[in-house]
Amino acid sequence: MKRLVPTAEMTLGPFFPREFAEGANDLAGAAENVVEITGRVTELDGKPLDNVILEIWQADAGGRFDNPDFAGWGRAATDAQGNYRFRTIRPGAIPGRAPHVNFLILYSGLMRQLQTVMFFEDSNDPVLQAVQPSGRSRLIARATGKNSLRFDIRLRGGEETPFFDD
Amino acid sequence: MAVVIARRDPLTQAQGVEPGYAQTARRWPSQPLARRPHTASELSGPQPVARLLPLVRGDLAGHGARRALGQLIRLRVRVVDEDGAPLPGTVVEAWHCNAAGKYIHPNDTHDAPADPNFYGAARLVAGDSGLVELRTIKPGAYPVPDTNGWWRPPHVHFSVWGRVWLSRLVTQMFFPGEPLNEADAILNAIHDPGARGRCIARLVPSTTNELIYDYQLVVRGRKGAPGMP
Repeated sequence: MKRLVPTAEMTLGPFFPREFAEGANDLAGAAENVVEITGRVTELDGKPLDNVILEIWQADAGGRFDNPDFAGWGRAATDAQGNYRFRTIRPGAIPGRAPHVNFLILYSGLMRQLQTVMFFEDSNDPVLQAVQPSGRSRLIARATGKNSLRFDIRLRGGEETPFFDD
Repeated sequence: MAVVIARRDPLTQAQGVEPGYAQTARRWPSQPLARRPHTASELSGPQPVARLLPLVRGDLAGHGARRALGQLIRLRVRVVDEDGAPLPGTVVEAWHCNAAGKYIHPNDTHDAPADPNFYGAARLVAGDSGLVELRTIKPGAYPVPDTNGWWRPPHVHFSVWGRVWLSRLVTQMFFPGEPLNEADAILNAIHDPGARGRCIARLVPSTTNELIYDYQLVVRGRKGAPGMP
């Protein structure tokens, strides 16, 4: 059977249009139980990065991915200080998985997309367990308030965030 | 039918830290990427994205007194999966610099002139045969700051969703016959000559003043039973 080779991924570059980067970081809308996720994206030596594009994909509060009233997808860009912000809801558990938010990172200098996952607490989740034990804590968001979480992403060096190949 | 995502082939995909592209050594992770099982979370995705994001500008070239400077081109881009099946309804974002090599982005400090009649960003949705068409002008080449004479060849950036979360594709399309293609650190990060060649559009013979280019974007994923290798 014919099998095509996926197109080679290439870097997003530094000039992803602002118009595309903005306006899609509020997944919650008028929903209740809103949670705010903020964080800073840094490179080697801890330098913050401007205009990094982050996209997230998550289940709804009931653990569903096909809710017509909750798209589950959002996009944010970092500012000049490296900070991003999402407004969303806490996802429910899905069979075999703990509540989590999938993150995709696109940027100049990244020839391929980087994938990571944010968890709400330590758990027996098979994706969290796929990470080296020493790195697991860096995939667990830190509560900074009743409805606010902090999830920093270090691309390389130091407290490097664990990333997934697929 | 479920979507299956096979692992990336290191010959047809870049591997991270690339010679001649210094930023990759500051940003690509130093640790090996972890392998994870694929569950419903990775093998689902937002549908339809066109409901979430407004479609904008299928024509970047303009007309008459509002015409953008540069060679008029038409890009005919077909989006398919690894089975060759078209992906009607998938969203495609495209962006590129103007004919002088300047982006609309405020972070672009290159001293090339802006073109008041050119705004280089489009968001399109694929039609029934997976086709998107973009009327625009051919982008210029431009120097990369803080490098030893690296000039990017003319290229168009694409971002495509595909069927599921793991099929997301962000890439760049190049033009045939460009001398700068030979030394570009980004294009040449793809080591397989065939895969690299597929990142270069094909010029279609035409008799008008508009150059037509055909291109194919293959997103990851094929149909198969879950759990198959």
